[in-house]
Amino acid sequence: MQLPAYARLPRRAHHRVMGSSMALLLGIALGVCTGRIIAAPAAKPAANGMALAETAPSGPVVPPIQGAQSASSAQSAPARAQSLQSRIPQSPAPAQSSPPPAAANSGTPPVAAPPIPSTLPASEQTAPSAGAPGSATSSESPPPATSAPAAPPNAPSPGVAAPNAPPAGAGPGQPAPAPSASGKSLTGATFNFAPNDPPGEWRSQARDYANTRYSPLNEINTRNVDQLQIAWTFSDGTKNGHEAAPLVVGDTMYVVTPFPDMLFALDLSKPGAPIKWTFKPNPSPMAIGKACCDTVNRGMVYADGKIIYNLLDDHTVAVDATTGKQAWRTKMGNVESGETMTMAPLAVGDKVYVGDSGGEMGVRGWIAALDVKTGKQLWRAYSTGPDKDVRIGKNFKPYYSWMQGKNLGVSSWPAGMWKHGGGTVWGWISYDPETNLIYYGTSNPGPRVPVQRPGYNMWTSTIFARDADTGMAHWAYQTTPHDRWDYDAVNEDILMDLKIHGKMRKVLVHFDRNAYAYTIDRTTGEVLVAAPFAYENWSPGINMKTGMPIVNKAKEPKPNVALKHLCPPDIGGKDWQPAAASPRTGLVYADIFNICMDLVDHRVGYIPSTPYDGMEMHRYPAPGGNLGEFMAWNPATGKKVWSIKEKYMTMSGVLATAGDVVFYGTADGWFRAVNAWTGKVLWSQKLGSGIIGQPVTYLGPDHRQYIAIVAGIGGAATVRADKKALQLVGFPAGGNTVYVFSLGGKSISSSPAKLTTGGKPQKKHLPANNKEH
Amino acid sequence: MDVCRTFYGVTVIASLLMLSACGHSEGGSVSVQPQSLPAEGTMSQVPVGQLAGAAADTLGPTISNPYGSSPQAIHEGRALYLKMNCAGCHGYGAKGNMGPDLTDKYWRYGGAPANVYKSIYDGRPKGMPAWGQAMPPQEIWKIVAYIQSLGGTVPAGEFQRSQEGDVSDTQVAPEVTKARRAAANARNGSQPAPQLQPSQAQPEGTGQ
Repeated sequence: MQLPAYARLPRRAHHRVMGSSMALLLGIALGVCTGRIIAAPAAKPAANGMALAETAPSGPVVPPIQGAQSASSAQSAPARAQSLQSRIPQSPAPAQSSPPPAAANSGTPPVAAPPIPSTLPASEQTAPSAGAPGSATSSESPPPATSAPAAPPNAPSPGVAAPNAPPAGAGPGQPAPAPSASGKSLTGATFNFAPNDPPGEWRSQARDYANTRYSPLNEINTRNVDQLQIAWTFSDGTKNGHEAAPLVVGDTMYVVTPFPDMLFALDLSKPGAPIKWTFKPNPSPMAIGKACCDTVNRGMVYADGKIIYNLLDDHTVAVDATTGKQAWRTKMGNVESGETMTMAPLAVGDKVYVGDSGGEMGVRGWIAALDVKTGKQLWRAYSTGPDKDVRIGKNFKPYYSWMQGKNLGVSSWPAGMWKHGGGTVWGWISYDPETNLIYYGTSNPGPRVPVQRPGYNMWTSTIFARDADTGMAHWAYQTTPHDRWDYDAVNEDILMDLKIHGKMRKVLVHFDRNAYAYTIDRTTGEVLVAAPFAYENWSPGINMKTGMPIVNKAKEPKPNVALKHLCPPDIGGKDWQPAAASPRTGLVYADIFNICMDLVDHRVGYIPSTPYDGMEMHRYPAPGGNLGEFMAWNPATGKKVWSIKEKYMTMSGVLATAGDVVFYGTADGWFRAVNAWTGKVLWSQKLGSGIIGQPVTYLGPDHRQYIAIVAGIGGAATVRADKKALQLVGFPAGGNTVYVFSLGGKSISSSPAKLTTGGKPQKKHLPANNKEH
Repeated sequence: MDVCRTFYGVTVIASLLMLSACGHSEGGSVSVQPQSLPAEGTMSQVPVGQLAGAAADTLGPTISNPYGSSPQAIHEGRALYLKMNCAGCHGYGAKGNMGPDLTDKYWRYGGAPANVYKSIYDGRPKGMPAWGQAMPPQEIWKIVAYIQSLGGTVPAGEFQRSQEGDVSDTQVAPEVTKARRAAANARNGSQPAPQLQPSQAQPEGTGQ
């Protein structure tokens, strides 16, 4: 049995973290009933875990870092990256061992990530206490590094084990690979980590073009992740759902809020990470009532010295990352029409790609490329309408014949209905430097009532591959032709090279809302693997010859007829919350749903500025009773490797690290760290609100590894009408807090001498910041 | 190009499109007649909301719905509520979704019948479209009648007290009680709505 999270925390953490006995009781209740593991190797005995929990805080206290303040605050980000790089052992992998080339399009060969040693000197490590090495015998032992051929097979890996090895005397508990943790990637998948940002930074929502959300940092790993404690927090003061990942560039963290889409810059080089500046774009409040699923923002991207993101009222804005001044603002649409923007841009070279939201509002979807320097639109490709508008030309070669033909974006609709046909672009964009193609998906068709729009409704619920420079389409694959259930195809496309049926293929891995996980040849659009990853009953399978889903006729909605037990529901087997991939395990990790709906369709007319929707639905748990699940997926075989069921929805992003730890959050506010090989929960922390944000990791100016996540429930996780069925009664209220964790909660402000910005230490009996009162 | 006229035109087309779907709920009946609409120009004098420092609104609270609690007006108001896509934002049960809950007692811009009318007619800044050009006053009042039947609004005579927080949850004006009953009868009589029961839902707290 997995220990509840509260038992794993050092005693003093109860007071600091839980805050009150009420929270503690809640923690106990939830800890007991969540975190159940299935299909995972045997967990270690509870006694060991208990010993760990009790003894962990008694370990040596990390001494203040000598001279950290002057050294760290003076050290510029590039210097820090350089110092980190210099500690990376010589590795056969070229992509990670040198700073990124300036030109984004110069494709680097895909490589497995080399191990990177912990960045703290051994003397600064939080050493495991004598009681801790129980972990060495358990299944959570990290395997030897996967991609360090130089390392002797039985030696501790330089990347993971060495700095954190149990103290001498671990005795019988020599690290022994767990059965499933052979240390060898389970799929052999390789990745191109371009643009090869500095390892300690997080400059875009997915960290890399391939959308892996994988960090090469491993100071925090399977052996010590249970020592994570809160280092500092930051509240942005807004309400509504917080879906974005914070960015870390140099010594600055950037946090974007839901409407009114404010941008905060926090100074990581100072104790407590004070605000450097705040950018307030003042978007139109009309956007509040036009956003279907809460006034969320899914994040920003750093490019050309600017933070670029979208405002809910259809503007893309670029803010000088140093000064916080607006560099440019481009109007991309009319919020009056019901169009909004919530997605996170992707920047490649001198272009930034953005798309719109509003598939429920009769909006016509599009993706556009803007000039990073000026904000000027370079091209725009619509998702419906004539080929010219969709940017379909002679290079367009869909793999399957039913998607070939002229102007299908018009002819697959009743006359003129493509003009309000949806296909918005509100999810994630990936980029492959080798082929110079971008990949993204389009939303559901409008209206959501299918009987009003016979036809395939192209190119809604479709994955597109487009030339990154011209926007011209290369191929498309419609995951759900003539969508009847709101199965958008906007979820992330993770790019990797993978051996399938004995042959290396360049693929993208896509968990669709329709509950099928697709492994698709990203050069042609051919579906190589398609298998359901969540409970579903709308389709008994995908015809692998045609790529067409087989539809269960009994689950096709008809107007004014109540259709019971349809799975997955409108929000899918997985919604926009992005998965992560690890080159060490070769697996993909995703938060998924276990939800069904009852559905009644109502015919609707198009009235500008109002929903063009017509779906009335009630969601409830699918068989099993749990709403959420966190899983490891083998994209070569289309099979789950392990999974963890969660009572409440799992709607956070996922972070994978070289420490073989994967992080995810739950809608009731648990933030968990899991062994990437075994699925064993190693650490859990209850946060102040439900989690629908995306975890990231970075190196602070003090060279410590930090984990950051925003807690602020909202979005589609709390659609009001479903409160009762989705067990949201007593559910956490909204929140707006960035939580930053480190080993032992240590940070730049841990030493009393560091608690003032004035330099001189204060008298010990005074609160260190007393001077400011 | 006259945007308003186009807008109305689209609405008319939309309405025509909707006839087949909504016809059964209209019942083909002769439209119910209002007692008497407020004199022309009267409604424009009702302020947008209760603004700090502004003169007390003595007009809004005194204007009753000219349809009273007519069951047929409520019935037609419900049909209009669906036809004009109100349900898309406020929910098929009017319990809110993208837009606010219309059944509770919290009203950003006032909950007396005249305030609700104004919110529909003028639109509101956070996304509520202005329907004044798209629907005649009679139709707006019917929608108001339907919303009143849901029980969350403030009776015309109790506006001032509601502003001061003095309308309790249990105190429901006879007008509202009557309207609720009428609405229930209307629904049960002619429009059996499909009942959606999340029967598979786990009771609270027993998810494991």
